[in-house]
Amino acid sequence: MPKENNKKKELKKDKALAENTVEELKKERDEYLEGWKRAKADLINYKNEETARSKEMIRFAEEGIIRDMIAVLDSFDLCISSLDKEKESFTKGIRMIRTQIEDVFKKRGLEKIDTPTGKPFNPSFHEAISVIDSDKPAGEVIEEVEKGYLWNGKVLRPVRVVVAK
Amino acid sequence: MSKIIGIDLGTTNSAMAFVGTDGKPEIIESAEGARTTPSVVALSKSDERLVGVLAKRQSITNPANTISSVKRLIGRKWDDSEVQNDKEWAPYEIRKSENGGIDIKMGDKWYKPEEISAMVLSKLRADAEMRLGERIEEAVITVPAYFDDSQRQATKNAGEIAGLKVKRILNEPTAAALAYGLNKEKNEKIVVYDFGGGTFDISVLEVGDDTVEVKATGGDTYLGGDDFDKKLNEYVVAKYKEEEGIDISKDPLALQRLKEAVERAKHELSSSIETEINLPYITSDSSGPKHLLLKVTRAKLEELVSEYIEKAAKLTEETVKEAGFSLSDINEIILVGGQTRMPAIQASVKKLFGKEPNRGINPDEVVALGAAIQGGIFQGDVKDILLLDVTPLTLSIETLGGIATPMIPKNTTVPTAKTQIFSTAADNQPSVEVHVLQGERPMAADNKTLARFILDGIPPSPRGVPQVEVSFDIDANGILNVKAIDKATGKSQSVKIEAQTSLSKEEIERLKNEAAVHADSDKKKKDLIEAKNQGEALAYSAEKAVKDAGDKLDSSIKSEVEEKISTLRSALGSEEKEKIDSASEDLSASLQKIGESLYNEGKEPEQNNEENKGGENKGEGGKEGKEE
Repeated sequence: MPKENNKKKELKKDKALAENTVEELKKERDEYLEGWKRAKADLINYKNEETARSKEMIRFAEEGIIRDMIAVLDSFDLCISSLDKEKESFTKGIRMIRTQIEDVFKKRGLEKIDTPTGKPFNPSFHEAISVIDSDKPAGEVIEEVEKGYLWNGKVLRPVRVVVAK
Repeated sequence: MSKIIGIDLGTTNSAMAFVGTDGKPEIIESAEGARTTPSVVALSKSDERLVGVLAKRQSITNPANTISSVKRLIGRKWDDSEVQNDKEWAPYEIRKSENGGIDIKMGDKWYKPEEISAMVLSKLRADAEMRLGERIEEAVITVPAYFDDSQRQATKNAGEIAGLKVKRILNEPTAAALAYGLNKEKNEKIVVYDFGGGTFDISVLEVGDDTVEVKATGGDTYLGGDDFDKKLNEYVVAKYKEEEGIDISKDPLALQRLKEAVERAKHELSSSIETEINLPYITSDSSGPKHLLLKVTRAKLEELVSEYIEKAAKLTEETVKEAGFSLSDINEIILVGGQTRMPAIQASVKKLFGKEPNRGINPDEVVALGAAIQGGIFQGDVKDILLLDVTPLTLSIETLGGIATPMIPKNTTVPTAKTQIFSTAADNQPSVEVHVLQGERPMAADNKTLARFILDGIPPSPRGVPQVEVSFDIDANGILNVKAIDKATGKSQSVKIEAQTSLSKEEIERLKNEAAVHADSDKKKKDLIEAKNQGEALAYSAEKAVKDAGDKLDSSIKSEVEEKISTLRSALGSEEKEKIDSASEDLSASLQKIGESLYNEGKEPEQNNEENKGGENKGEGGKEGKEE
């Protein structure tokens, strides 16, 4: 009978609608769950990055001090080179103080860059502060004017040099 | 999705930034670990192409092939007066190109300015890829607001040559405004005061519907922080010549050391009234080594550069006028460029506009950060439904003495939850009152009450022993749930508080300001209360210790401690922190005697048997355990 058929049709329609809705909700749920998981993962990853960052911060803080102390080492170098050879005992004491300071920083990763006199100029490690005429081959380092240092493998201050023209 | 980085391609130095997972822009360091990269390119004597710091280091050995300040040439025509000026100082060769533009000679090849800039951009890109661990293909690059179409296009071309899709060429002052979040209020008038190393730029902006409009630009492309250094340098050299008769500017190493020391001194004078330039062994003469020790005051520096600061102020005024505004029309001022750290410049800006300039962000980095934010906006497909709010004011609970103990600090992203364990203040206290507060003041009475409820049925116990777990939970709808559970009985009580952010932005600001204004007096109040609380607890535990020791306690010590306890108790009623603190310290010292006396109690009857000392006393010591 037509009425019953209509009812059946209605029920079928409702069933399809309900099934569709369930499908959509499932999709949405999956999307949200995925998003939630990602957010959790992001947080965990961020925390790990933070730990690494904290370590970096400490190194960064040390770098400032070491960089400033290099100027003090420079002063010692200049002092030592200006002292009379006669006053050896005096010079020795000052040399020892300088070594003391450098040792403190060596423990924390400071390393002197090899003196480049006689070697070709290399901007990765050297900074030219002047060029002069010389019978040495062009581009060769003639004089180390100020020492250079590495810190944890990175160039903290390049060696200041005079280069042959 | 790959990141879009922001690049501040500067005349002397460049910087780059990206927006991290937390939505905040961050500077990307170069491969050498520096936050800026010199905009310098060179072809070394050994035919190697160098970019950045390495190119700068060899510039003296190779001036003709070390190219710097290309930004002054990019996109210009040979006949531009600016180009003719630059020709004078540039140690490298330039010529008119076929189409009337400029060619730059490096090695034995001729390059267009955009090709040189592209080399700088390539290095920045490579360094960013290394730091971020992913391919970088898109960028936002900033240019001065006064750049014309040709200069903008040439900058864009430079990016493309470097393999970057340039999503936008952004004005530097606009980038700065973005970094400060000042692009939101319509019709707001902003002045960006950019005092860099080599150029001074003034831009007047007005915030429109979707964009930030540049109303006028001005400045002096040959005025910068370097000029300040020069003046100070000249002063020191002259002074030294006067005092020692030596001209240290003739010695390259001395000059180099002086240059660095002067720059450092200039920086220090931004935070100190005076500083000392200390350069031992600066030079030598027939009499031996010579040193340079010179005090420089902030006043002297300001005197030396006053003409520059005044010039900058004048140019600022003119540019604002040109925009059709008066100085008082300007709503916000932004400081960009390292030189703006100088107090005299900040004062000059404040005087001109009658208001404090925005300077919270590192002025050397603000443009790159702003460019990164623009990149982030392009990247952002942040779903609306995921936009998270923050709670604008601190949520606290009232604790002993009327103190507001924070549970969820202001600006915490929600949804979030926080739990803390509290206890009772008096012996056998049967209930706790949970008083939920909102506000920034340290004393509960000065904050807003959101709710109050009581959790009772706490079993009789000494003070401080019960464990009541209080939790604050703000859900995604901004509803605050506060719950208190007695861990012993499992009994709980809770309250639900709807929208506690019914305050307007102005009200929130006002409350924050009030807290700042009262900070000092509030702290004194809080400190006094805490001293009282601690004093109370000390008196209580001292009384307990005396009681517990009973007869074992030597009577002279007992009366000493009891006397100190009563001194403390009367001090507690006095409202004077110093009195309470000293009475507390006194009592603490005496209290230790109780312990000593109990330990030594075993010794007395055996004074003549030295050997037994060690073993006995160890037993006594173990009894004191009051830990929990």
